[in-house]
Amino acid sequence: MNRYEMIYIIDTGLEETARKELIEKVSGLITANGGEIEKVDETWGKRRLAYAIDYKTEGWYVIVTFQAPADLPRELERNLQIDENVLRYLVVKLVEKRSAVKPRPVRQAAEEAQAPEAAEEAPEAVAETADIDAE
Amino acid sequence: MSEERGERRPRPRGGRRPRRKVCAFCVDKIAYIDYKDVNRLRRFTNERGKILPRRMSGNCAKHQRQLGEAIKRARAIALMPYTAE
Repeated sequence: MNRYEMIYIIDTGLEETARKELIEKVSGLITANGGEIEKVDETWGKRRLAYAIDYKTEGWYVIVTFQAPADLPRELERNLQIDENVLRYLVVKLVEKRSAVKPRPVRQAAEEAQAPEAAEEAPEAVAETADIDAE
Repeated sequence: MSEERGERRPRPRGGRRPRRKVCAFCVDKIAYIDYKDVNRLRRFTNERGKILPRRMSGNCAKHQRQLGEAIKRARAIALMPYTAE
């Protein structure tokens, strides 16, 4: 299972009930193929497009985060491509945000080893970085 | 910080040595550049919508790569323009 985030844009010409239906259908597609929906976000709602798509200047943005096996996005994209009310879609694998950038190993080691002296150590470290900035 | 900068102000005549830029994402401690954060991304494109080079944005290599990816994703779903005018 991976975590994914999907954005798709629905034609604003579609009335509300039909739109709800479409969102429902897409969500159903995820759950039916072994996925698990975390959130369906429509807070953006109607939004101006940065460029016209099929001569349309507005679109209804839906953001879905879900967990799914690795073969689901492909199936999902295939289905979104068929639906002509979906102007654009994008499925992105979410990286674990916290571990994406590791803390500097040198500093971490220093903190762990000299926990009692941390108060002394800290200002020094700050001064060092300030020097680097000045150069 | 600001005091130090004041000291360094007098620059050698003639030759211009612009201030060393620091990566805006490192300063803000951003580990993941979100393609949905259009306002932030827009600062790194010119008015035609082109991605600014590193020598102008001052980003570190790691964040510049992430930024490029994020802007391209934003373009794909019409959050940002491929080109303006």
